Order: sequence, then C-alpha cells, then structure tokens
Amino acid sequence: MRDAYLLGAGQSDFGAFPERSYRTLFRDAFEATLSAVPDEFEADRIDEAVVGTLGVGGRQIGLSGPAVTEHVGLHGVPCTRVENACAAGGYAVRQAVQAVRSGMADVVLAGGFESMTDVSSDAVRYWLGVSGDTEYERLAGTTFAGVYAQMTDAHMRTYGTTPEHLAHVSVKNHANGAHNPHAHLGFECSLDDALDAPTVADPLTVYHCCPVSDGAACAFVVSETVAREFTDTPIRVAGVGASSDRVGLAQRETYTAVPASRRAAETAYDDAGLRAADLDFAEVHDCFAIAELLAYADLGFCAPEEAGELVADGETALDGSLPVNTSGGLKSKGHPIGATGVGQVAEAFAQLTGTGGERQVDDATVGLTHNVGGSGGAAVVHVFEREGAA
Amino acid sequence: MTDRAITGIGVAVPRGRIDADTIENAWGRFEATGIDTTAVPAGDEDALTLGVEAGERALSAASVDGGAVSSLAFATTTPPLAEEDLTVRLGSMLGVEEAARRPTFTGSTRAGAAALLAGFDFAPEGPVLVVVADCPRGEPDSAIEHAAGAGAVAFVVGPAGGVRLVEHAAAEEPYPGTRFRQAVEHDVRAIDVRSYDRAAFVEPVTAAIDGLEADPSGVDAAAIHAPDGDLPYRAAKAANVEPDLVDRCATVADLGDTGAASAPLSIARAVADGHDRILAVGYGSGASADALVLAGSCPVGWPDIEPNELDYPSYLRRRGDLSGSPPAGGGASVSVPSWKRSLPQRHRLVAGQCDSCGALAFPPEGACPRCHELGDFAAVTLPRTGTVETVTTVGQGGAPPEFAPLQQRSGALGVTIVAFRVDDESVSVPLQVAADAEPVEPGQTVATVCRHLYTQEGVPRYARKVRPELV
Repeated sequence: MRDAYLLGAGQSDFGAFPERSYRTLFRDAFEATLSAVPDEFEADRIDEAVVGTLGVGGRQIGLSGPAVTEHVGLHGVPCTRVENACAAGGYAVRQAVQAVRSGMADVVLAGGFESMTDVSSDAVRYWLGVSGDTEYERLAGTTFAGVYAQMTDAHMRTYGTTPEHLAHVSVKNHANGAHNPHAHLGFECSLDDALDAPTVADPLTVYHCCPVSDGAACAFVVSETVAREFTDTPIRVAGVGASSDRVGLAQRETYTAVPASRRAAETAYDDAGLRAADLDFAEVHDCFAIAELLAYADLGFCAPEEAGELVADGETALDGSLPVNTSGGLKSKGHPIGATGVGQVAEAFAQLTGTGGERQVDDATVGLTHNVGGSGGAAVVHVFEREGAA
Repeated sequence: MTDRAITGIGVAVPRGRIDADTIENAWGRFEATGIDTTAVPAGDEDALTLGVEAGERALSAASVDGGAVSSLAFATTTPPLAEEDLTVRLGSMLGVEEAARRPTFTGSTRAGAAALLAGFDFAPEGPVLVVVADCPRGEPDSAIEHAAGAGAVAFVVGPAGGVRLVEHAAAEEPYPGTRFRQAVEHDVRAIDVRSYDRAAFVEPVTAAIDGLEADPSGVDAAAIHAPDGDLPYRAAKAANVEPDLVDRCATVADLGDTGAASAPLSIARAVADGHDRILAVGYGSGASADALVLAGSCPVGWPDIEPNELDYPSYLRRRGDLSGSPPAGGGASVSVPSWKRSLPQRHRLVAGQCDSCGALAFPPEGACPRCHELGDFAAVTLPRTGTVETVTTVGQGGAPPEFAPLQQRSGALGVTIVAFRVDDESVSVPLQVAADAEPVEPGQTVATVCRHLYTQEGVPRYARKVRPELV
C-alpha cells in the first residue's frame, strides 16, 4: 500500500455569516487551499472529491457534495458526501487517504462545510439533535450540552476534575484563537469569564461550549509522486485511525472516556509507528471543555485523573510541552460541523509548513488531529509527519 | 347489590400547592369558601398522568398485576385530548393488556361516582380498575380557578372481601348554567348566581341521599362532592347528615376542587382512616347526583409527599398562562409512528435480555450491547426503581426545543442516566427528572413515574421520568 500526502489545506473564515451560502464559503476554502500550494498545481488534476457536512437547517440534504464541487469548477469530478455528524470532515479526509493509498486516485480533494447561523437558534438545536440518540437520549431532555454535562459530572466525581480545570481549557483556546485571523471568537477570556458565565447545562457554562458557526475547509490529499513534484519536504499522512461506538451515552461502557477516540488513536499510532510522546502539537475535538480533557487521556497524553492539571499547569499551552488546539480549537476558532475535521487538518498543515504565524509551534514535525462525531459515536484520528526534516 | 368489593385504593396528588392568601394578595380577594390551599399540577402532570400514578398505587394496594385487570374505567372532566380513547394509553402505561371493557366517563363531575358504580356492575371475570382523575381550571380571577385543585384516585374492584356497595340512589333536576365548559374552552365557567347555584347543588344531592333506604345518620363518614368548602356542608345539613361526618373525610380544604375525583378522594380518605360505613355523593352540574353507601375496609395507598408551596408567578407559569407554543424548527423529530413502536419502552420501560449472553439491552433492538450477537431479546420489564449514575440540569439553551414549553412552565430540566438492575444484570437508561421533583444525585435510588413528555403535531406524548423514591 502506498503512502498518502497532504499537499495543501486551507479554510474560510469561521463565524456567523447568515448572508453567505454554503457554496460561497466552500469557494473561500477551496481558493485558500489552492493558495497554500505552489502555483504550478492545477485544480484540474483533482481526480476525486469527498466532502463532509451534516446539513444543518435541512438545506440541500441530497447532492450537496456535487453542489459545492461544481460551484468551484470541478466539473465532472466524482464527489461523495460523508455524514458522520461532527466528525464528517475528519472522515472525509480519511476517505481521501483511502482513495490515494488504494491507488484509485492520485489527487483527492477532502472538504467540509456547514451553514448554521441563518436559521433560528431553536431550529439549530433541532438540527444539532439529529446527531445523537434522537429517540431516547434527546427525549430525556438533552442536546449535546446536556450529554457532555453528564460526562463532566461523571469525570468530576471520578477523577476530581474541577470547574477551574474546565475554565483553563477555555482560557487557553481563546488565547490561541486570538492569534487566528479565521477564528469565530478570536478574543481572549479570563478564568473568571469562564467560571462566571451563565450555565447551559450544569456544570457547563457558555464559555465551556463551542459556538455555532458557518465555514468551510479543504485539503488536497495526494500520492507521493504528486507531492514530490511540488516540495522536497512533503507532509505524509503517517497514520489513520477511526472507530465507532453506540450513539447514546447511556449505552456505552464508560461515561468518563470516549472509547472510539481511544481505539482510533491506537490504530493511528500503530499505523504511523509513532506514539503520543512523538507529537509536537495536536488539534483535538473540544466541542465542550470536558471533551478536550477526555481527549488528553483517550489520545495518550496523560492518565484521566491528570487531565485537569495538564491544562492548568500550562503543558498544553502554546509554549507548553505539547501545545493543543493552537488554532483556538472548536471553542474559539468555531465549529461549523462538517468543516471542523478538515479545518483541523488545515491547522496541522500550517504548523507543519511553518506558516502558523503568531501561533506557530517551534520545529513542528509531527502533529495529530482528532475529530469526534456526536458525543463519541464516531471518532477519527490522523497523524501527520513532515518528511525531509533535519 | 353486587357481591363485588373494592380491594385496593390508590391516590395521587401533585406536590404543588398555592394557598388562599397568595391568591388573595394577587387579586385582592379570594372567592373560594372553605379552601386553605389547592393542589397545582406540575408542568408535566395532567389527568392522565395523575390517573396512572393512582392506578399503580391501587394495583399495588390490592396486590393485583396490571396484566390481570379485566376492565378499565377512566373518569375525568379534563382529558388531555377531547377526542381519543385515552383508556388505551392509560392501560398501556399501567400494563393492562386486554381489557374487556374500557369505558370513559366525562362531561360532568358526576363521572367519578358513575365510573365507580360501573366498576361494581361489571361482569366478574376479573379485577376491574376504576381510575378517576381531574384537574379543573377557570379564568385566573374566577371563583372556579381559586378553588381549582387536582388529584386522582383509583379503585380495584374484585370479586369480594373489601369495601362493598350497600346501596345506591340517584336524583336529577334541570339546573342549567351553574358550572359548564363550552366545547372549545378549557376554562370552566359559571353564571355565578349564588342562591341558584346553591339550590342546584343542594336539591339533587339531598334528593339522592333521601332516595337511599339506609339512614344517613348511621354512617361513619360522608364523602360528599365538594366544589368548594361550603356547598357539601349545606347539602349535608339539608339531608340531616352531621357536618362532622363530612369533615372526617373532606379533602377540599387542602387539595381544592378536584372535580370528578372529589367524592372518590373523600372515599379514599375515609377508608384510609378506618371508617367502615361511608355515605358518598357524586354530583354533576346540570344537575344530578349519585348517592352510595359503602361498607368494609381495604388497603389504601396514599403517598406521603412534601408539598411545594408556590408563589403566584410560579403558579401562573405552571398553569401555562405565561407560556407560548413550541418553537418551529424541524430535524430530529420522532414521528408518531416511530413513537408508537417504542410505547412499551416509553410507558413501562420494557428492556430486552439477550438470548445468547443474558445481557440487558434498552431499547431491546439491534445487536446485543455485550456479546454483539444479532440474536433475539426476551422482553423484561425494568423495575420501578433504579440508581442514578449521572445527572445534569439543563437550562433553556441546552434542551431540545420540544421541551421549551415545559421549561417555560417548570424551569430548568433535570436529566439523568439511571441504572436498573434485574437479577445480576444492569442496564442504563437516559431519563428526565419529573417536573416539581426534588433534585436527584448520583447514587440515589429513584422511582419512575409516567409524565407528559412533550407535544408534537398536536399529539401529547407520555413517558417514564424519575423522581426521588416516595415513602
């Protein structure tokens, strides 16, 4: 099986753009990706496209994949839409890697998009609810905030995690997002801001929850031959892992971890021949503050009971031993469902090509992206490694 | 008279209470004589859910399984739907499988006594369950609303051995206008002509009592329908029944006007207090009355609940006077046909036991959660109590929009995952905390109760929720 490489990746601004169509947002992302690769690369080399979206608001549930690729001029290119809730984008990247590794394609566009702010907040909650166990969990009275709040409650009782630990996640990610021109909420917040904010689902406050965002992101996944046409230091997709689980929290084996994330990470590390200690940075799925703390343990950064202190001690800050969510994460950069997983890859590309600006991690060579669907019904992990580095 | 007898009685009343002073402070007057407090249903309680709760208690008191019930009668003047056979849903929630008869008695507060009489008359093929529940309401500044309470009582009528019907008499006299509700309204109204109203009540009640062969002074308690705390005493006096006998089993001062459940609740209180010869009078405006003499004793399940005193704004919210409709939206809705498929799970928490490894699954569909075999599940009804595993309180921003009307009435929602144990196996189920229940905590034992979950497409949906276990 041959390797797949990341030739380029980019994203639109994430934010509230109720006047924009999902097609024009996708165009922004597509053009940003084209601008991230050498001028000699022609879009007509794209063999295949895979795009992730949930379809919030019910807009174009059918054929929204071809709708965006035709919109950006990829006429006739076969396009498949992937739906795996909030992990749709990450799974689109995985499908692209599979297509290249299998030899079916040399250049695959992996994309994602979502348009969420042009419908009422009530309608958004109707739509966000489609990604959970709609028949029982939702009808107990929860959207995802309620489900993650229950995971938070369980984590606090089991491991002594505190509201301050959760607040540190928010503060760190907002500090990073303040350096990201594409971030939806690109401003800093204080510990008190996070602790004193209105409660959404006890103990989660507004500052422990990511925003509802519009946006799009793209990545070009290519064969080694194509990659080396354009660069001597290509970024290899070193490892891929994915896993599924029961959609409802009550049906899972634990409330204090995301088993699908653990399995996806183990597979990705094995595939890459690397481990958590080899990482220079990670983009993890922090839809709620507790989700980032769960990810620390699920991805092997620390033991579950150490997660709160890891962030409180600054180990995952931009200048820490393992910077996490340098982009600002879902919390600050935003969470346009289908775009999120691909947006994480765009951040990884920026870090591995040294174009991260004020949020650049020194000598970033190996990075990880982690994208979760629902409260853990699907998870996908990618490990990227820049080759040819000293 | 029949040999059949009441072998168990169950009662359900809401926790919510508003006292007369609170209403008087709000309106400058309180129009309901002889009432200190009234019972106020929670945002997810109605006549059907109160009826289920009373029915479960009656079945338990009589040591009868819901599946053994041969006929099911339901009486209320406030059905959640004006048209639909609600006894079918009532039976589903109570585990009544194949009832030979399922009559509904409505349209008059006399319906409660009428249903009980019918329970005695049914053919003796098995236990009959008679459920009477009511939660009347009126315009906020009306005497009817000031008096309006809520409650439910259920009777298991079996072959013999409990509280027997000694005799029955009825009386009618045309008296239009004293209490009525137009077809499209939910507020009860009255023309409020005091002397006319009194006569409309006293005459048929007295005539029904006079129709009995028994001497009314020979009873131990008088369970007379009570739209307020004045009329039953006036009628008793006219019929030569000592007011003390009414006092012995009156519920109106504490619970308010409980409509069709008024006289039946007083029967329950009289039996619970050991009075073994009871005069009961059901009354309906229009006007008509049934007088019954009952004798004997049986177990009564009367819950020991801690009342929740309401202020006036909370009371108005709870009544729905300050709430709107569910927001428009779309997506993630559970269609009525899908909902129907899951009724055993919603109404009775029917789980499944894997035929390969014995693990429990809820809902009982798909592959086994433990061995992952795609085999069959044997139906297992989960116990009525379980242990809280996780809990959160969800504000309006964090709940699905279906629950916006409930949150407008009751505030933030409690949501739990509860583990239920059957022998050595356990299964976890996400469940909402009942509105107006005390908060619950992980590790706590909770009991399930049927409540209104939400209404979509105009169809009210009911499901099990949890609350702290009642003593």
